[in-house]
Order: sequence, then C-alpha cells, then structure tokens
Amino acid sequence: MHIRSDWALGVWLLLGVLLVWYATLIPAFGSFQITSISKNSLPLIYLAVGQAIIVIAGGIDLSLGALLLLGNALAARFMAGQPVGTVALIAIALIAGLALLNAFTGYLITLSGVPDIVVTLATSYIWSGLALWILPSPGGGTAPEMRWLFTGSTSGIGDVFWPPILMMVIPSVIVALWAKRSRQGLTLYAIGSSKTAALLSGLDVRRAKIVSYGLGGAMAALAGLATVAITGTGDPRFSVGANATLNSVAAIVLGGIALTGGVGQIFGVVATSIILIMLNPILSAMGVNSNNAQVIQGVLIAGVMMVGGLVALQRERAS
Amino acid sequence: MIDSAPVLSATGIAKSYGPVVALSGADLSVNGGSIHALLGANGAGKSTLVKILAGVQAADAGVVQVNGRQVRFRAPADAIAASIATVFQDPALIPDLTVAQNLQLSKIDTDRLRPWLAWFDLERLDLTRVVRALPLETLRLVDLARAAARDPHVLLLDEITAALTADQSERVFALLKRWKEGGKAVVLITHRLADIMRVCDQATVLRDGRSAAELGTGNIDERRLVEAMLGERPPTGHAAPGARTGGDVSGDAPGHAAIEARELSSRSIVRDVSFSLRSGEIVGLVALEGQGQDRLFDLLSGKRKPTAGGIALHGRPVRFNSPHDAVRQGVVLVPGDRLLGLLPNQSVRHNLSLPLFTRLTRWGRIPADEQSRVDDAIATLAIDTRAASQVRRLSGGNQQKVVIGHWLVSGFQTLLCFDPTRGIDIQTKRDIYQLLRKLAADGASILLYTSELAEVSLVCDRILVMHGGRIVDELDAANATESALLAAAHGLKTPA
Repeated sequence: MHIRSDWALGVWLLLGVLLVWYATLIPAFGSFQITSISKNSLPLIYLAVGQAIIVIAGGIDLSLGALLLLGNALAARFMAGQPVGTVALIAIALIAGLALLNAFTGYLITLSGVPDIVVTLATSYIWSGLALWILPSPGGGTAPEMRWLFTGSTSGIGDVFWPPILMMVIPSVIVALWAKRSRQGLTLYAIGSSKTAALLSGLDVRRAKIVSYGLGGAMAALAGLATVAITGTGDPRFSVGANATLNSVAAIVLGGIALTGGVGQIFGVVATSIILIMLNPILSAMGVNSNNAQVIQGVLIAGVMMVGGLVALQRERAS
Repeated sequence: MIDSAPVLSATGIAKSYGPVVALSGADLSVNGGSIHALLGANGAGKSTLVKILAGVQAADAGVVQVNGRQVRFRAPADAIAASIATVFQDPALIPDLTVAQNLQLSKIDTDRLRPWLAWFDLERLDLTRVVRALPLETLRLVDLARAAARDPHVLLLDEITAALTADQSERVFALLKRWKEGGKAVVLITHRLADIMRVCDQATVLRDGRSAAELGTGNIDERRLVEAMLGERPPTGHAAPGARTGGDVSGDAPGHAAIEARELSSRSIVRDVSFSLRSGEIVGLVALEGQGQDRLFDLLSGKRKPTAGGIALHGRPVRFNSPHDAVRQGVVLVPGDRLLGLLPNQSVRHNLSLPLFTRLTRWGRIPADEQSRVDDAIATLAIDTRAASQVRRLSGGNQQKVVIGHWLVSGFQTLLCFDPTRGIDIQTKRDIYQLLRKLAADGASILLYTSELAEVSLVCDRILVMHGGRIVDELDAANATESALLAAAHGLKTPA
C-alpha cells in the first residue's frame, strides 16, 4: 500500500515536472493551454478510471474503447439539434444504458467462467459494429451547453479552464473515494487481491465483479460524451476505440494499478492519463516528428515501468 | 448428558469430488458449552467437513442443523449469518487491504475487535497496516479475533494453534474456555493430541470419510484417539515387491551423504532441520498436513531460499537460486500436484524429453542417443502409451510415472518425491515403489514424503518425522509401525 501511494504521488510529481517543462518550452503558457490539456485529457481519464476499477477487481476490459465509440456515436446521432433538456436526458440515459450493458458483460463473465479478456474482446467488436451502424460516417453533434460543460466554451475552443477541470476532478474523486472507503469499493479490491479470501470472508464475489464492469461502462459513456463535446461531432471509426482501449491500459499500468488485481490508487491513474495526453504537444513543441513521437512514448512507458519494477524488487529483497 | 438440542449437528454428510469420495456419512454433534475436537488422519475428510459446515462447499447428502433448525448454506456468508464463525487454516484476510479495511468488509467495528486483540496482546497492532506485511501468527490471531468479534454460537477453528508460539496458544485456549463458559460451542480441528486431551470435552474422530468414534468427557485419551484414527485395519504385513528385505545394504556399506540439510530454516515454518541422505537410500518423511513439509521441499528443490542454514551435496555446501540450479546439480523434484511437473497437453514422449530442452537449445534437436534414452525410459516405466498423444488423458498413476520418467531421462542424483502415490491405485503404487527401490539400488538417494503411513515403512530405509517445522523423530523402517508413526507425527514421544 505504501509503495502504491508513493507511486501515485510520484506520477503526480512527474506530471508537475512535465507541466513546468512544457511551460518553458512554448513561448506563451496560460489558461488556453491549461484548458486544452485538461479538456483533451477527459476521455482518457474517464476510460482509464473505468479500466482501473475493473482491473482492481481482477478483470480487464478490452471493450471500453468500443463502448466509448458506441456512446460517442449514440450521443452525436441523437443529441444533434436537440434542446439542452433533451440532451441532458439523453446523456443520463446513455450513462445508465452503457453501465447496464457492461454490467451484463460482467455477468456473462461470472456466469460462463470464460476469461475476461476473451469475452470483452468479443464484445468490443459488437459495440464497434453497433457504433458504425448507428453513425455510418463522422457527423452529428451536441448542444452547446454540453460542449461548455466539458470544454469551458460553447464552441469547444476557449480559455475557461474551470469547467473541464471540475469535470475531471468530480467524477475521479467520487470514484476514488467510493473505491477506498465504501464496503462495495473495498470488495472490488478484495476480490482482485484474493478471490478465495474474499469468498471465505463472506463477500459476494460475483456481484462485485458485475458492479466493476457496470461502473466501467458508465465511465466509458462519460468518455464518449466528452469526446462529442470536445470535437463537436461523432466519429465511429474502429481505430479510435481500439487506441482508446490501449491507452487506458497504458494509463493504469503507469498509474500503479497491478494488472494482477487488488492493488493501486485511482488518483495515480488520473495523473498518468494527463501525462499520456500531454506527451504529444510536448514532443511537438520540442520539434520531434510525430512518427518518432510514438517511439519515444513507448520507450517512456517501458522506462517508467522498469524503474517501478526495480524499486519493487529492491524493497522485496530488503524485507 | 445435556438434554438440550446440540448447537450444531451434522448427520450423514457425504461429499465426493469426481470419483474421489471425501466424506461418506460423517456425523458431528456439538453441544453448547463445550469444546469439541474433530480429528482424523490425513485424508480422513476433516477439511471437507469444515468446508461444508462453513458454507464453502455444498454437501452431496446429509443434514446440517443449527440450534435444532435445518440449514442449507450456499455461501460462507450464510454460515456467518447462522452464527458459525470459521477460522480457516489460511487466514481469510485480503492480502492487499489493511486490517481496518478487512474489518470494514466484514462489517465489524474496530471497537468490537479491540478487546479481542488486547486478549492476544495485540492492542498495539497498527490497523492501517497492509495484511500482506504482517507475520502469519499475527494474521491468525487477527482472524480469530475477528471471528470472536462476531460473537458466534459456534467457533469453527481449523488448526488454529499451528504456527503460534506456546504462550499465544495458551491465550487461544483461554479464549476457548471463555467461549465454553458462555454456553457457546467451539469446534477445534487439530493434530495435536496433547491439546485435545487438555482442553476438549468431546471428540469426534473421522476415518475414511466416516465418523469412526465419538469420545466424551472422561474417556478421551491418547490410546483411544490413535486407535480410532487407525481403525481395525489388517496389519499391512505384505512387503511391496522390491521392498528391501532383511540384509540391509546401507547398514554394512554406508553410502556417503549425497545431500545434506544443515540447520535448514525458513522463517518459523521450517526450523533447524538437519538430516542427510546417502546414495542408495530411500528416506521417508512423515508429517501431518501443514507441518512445514511443503516448505522443506521448496527449500531442497531450489524453489525458495532458506532464511538460515544450508544444503550440502557430497559434503560441499551449495546454494540454489532457482529450481534450475538444483536440477543442474542433480536434485530433482516430483511435485505433489502431478500436473505441475508436466505439460498436460503434450505427448508422453515430449514430456519425457522436457528436461533435455536445455541441451536442445544448443543442438537444435534432441540427439539420437537422447532419443534412445526416452525410449528406454518408456520401456523401464512400463507406461501405457496407448493414450499418449496428451499426457492429461493418462491415468494418475501413469502421469506420475511420466514425471519420474522425465527425470530418469535427464539423469539425477537426488529425487525429492512429494506424496507421489496420492490417489493412485494399488497396482501402480506398487510399480512406483518398485521403481523407487530400483533407482535407489542404482545409486540414487530419494527423499519420499508420503501421507500413506501404512506404506512408508515398506519402501523406506529410514523414516524422519516432522512436526511443527522440526524433525522430531527418526525411526528405523523396521520399528516404524503405523501407530508409532502416527503418534510421533502428532508430536508425541514414541515408546522406546
């Protein structure tokens, strides 16, 4: 636990250093950049927090990116041209709907005993296909108020940073506190840490798993809504979803969530999501060609993980 | 003697795992205000009965009643709700959460736990520490304190005093007495006969999945307990074919020590274990479950490093950093779980040549002479290779032969066998014993841990008895009757 809290603190420090460095790299650093970084991080933060919850509970969800896609397509298709009240209703329905959908995936996993990775890989194709069916080509839109909520501006571009920052902080804090303080949240840690011990302690192992997937689905829906708000349109391309899934896994691994389950802090994941999003502007500000940028990104992830692994190994030897 | 209905009763409990019958008609009746011992030899069905009473597994047949009312547990939570609190052999605490978080999960207020922690002198335990970082003794006591804080009618304790120090055990017994005086009941599963005689009012002895004896106040004594555990079996006089007969080879021509354990320790699980194995010798290791034998095998096979002491081969100290090191120096393991030593989906031939893979990488293929060694091994072992395309399709006995055989192909000096004949039919058992004797005759040294007390003296030259992490006794095969072994394994002195 101490290692993991130190780790979460460490990635926040790393984020701070990167922010300062970025500020010195570009001629003018101000509220516009802060707004831009925070709003662009939102989809990955939501997705990674959802992934973190599922992985902490001992699973992994390869369909989160596809759910983002589905949420994005549904929102863009049905919110376009609607008044703000209808848009809000649609948003709530979407969050609840995708939560139920993914909870059902979780239910299938507990029912069938098929590994999470297999089931969610399969559902990822289903959701991606559905997204394309709902929105065959990029298009659609949402209400200006929605855009303001996630970006701080009705046009999606601006320098009012508090709405995106609030949208970043509020859901993450709620989920993080719920995970560490409530019995249901602790149950997720418990089943990820030791399923047998959790069962013998009298916990409902199946329900916890289903809850984790449901929450993951809700977070993916939020990510889909954020994407619509940021871009002002829907984009149902398969690669968007696939990339988002991979990024969510990268973010949680960097954020100190053990892929074996039961260990990790939600807060760390928020920082690493922002870091992953910031790398692109930083590297381009440094004049790195965008093709090379991916290599550097990969090396960075591997490097950080190796450092983490070595630290853990040292501690284990010392104990 | 008490007319009231028993607090907890189980009648005619049966449970099978596939073809293996674990329980067939076990009865247990626990009165309020008593400490009830549940005991039996390894494999008698104790742990299965505990699992059923704790709601971990459902019985195939039989009735469980709590306070005279029939109950049916679907999950451990149901048993807890019925006021049965179980402390399992492995503490059921979540390793990655803090103690406080574990309590929150169990819906137990820390204030309710504190007096019990104080009872065990743990009042200063930092509840914000992660369970993983705490020593096993502490976890057991925390687990027991948690169970007590639930204030259950029945405390079901599986080997609670294992790994505890003597004074900690005393505190536990004091708690049990308090429980009994409060009119509630304790079921104590333990291997320590001395403890049973000291604290228990009643005892139920399980044998071969049935209740073999019910002993009450006043007539619990050591002899009766051991008798009940053994039953009236016909003496196993017939030596397995190939067992050593009269003229002792190791006696008049003692081989040198092929492998020695020198004050080997691993935390409090294995303590100061010293012994030596000569070439050509089979040494049996006898222990009840959970006395450190698993850990001892881990140390000898290089899976774990000792916290103190060491291993010597032919008088030369060695250090195994991994099983790979041990194998290279000729110390090989036949693990308890057969499939752990095999690639279940591969062929017999492939499995037999598995240890040759280190050489394979050098030459790119298995050379012809190695191929012939594989063929020899198949012939020697008389493995039925008709269903040989996948090892997992073989019978348990044939699988075990493949495990032994794959070391035969690569060659070894010391063979560590962990309960190799568990769940294997008599004929194959004999084959395996015969094979072990033959290997010993060819100069190998073999350490054989087995839960089959009746057979250990037939195949071994000497027998070591392990209890509480220590080697407590060494017997000559000739003197090692089943009852002598059982008594020694329970930590009792063997009659001279």
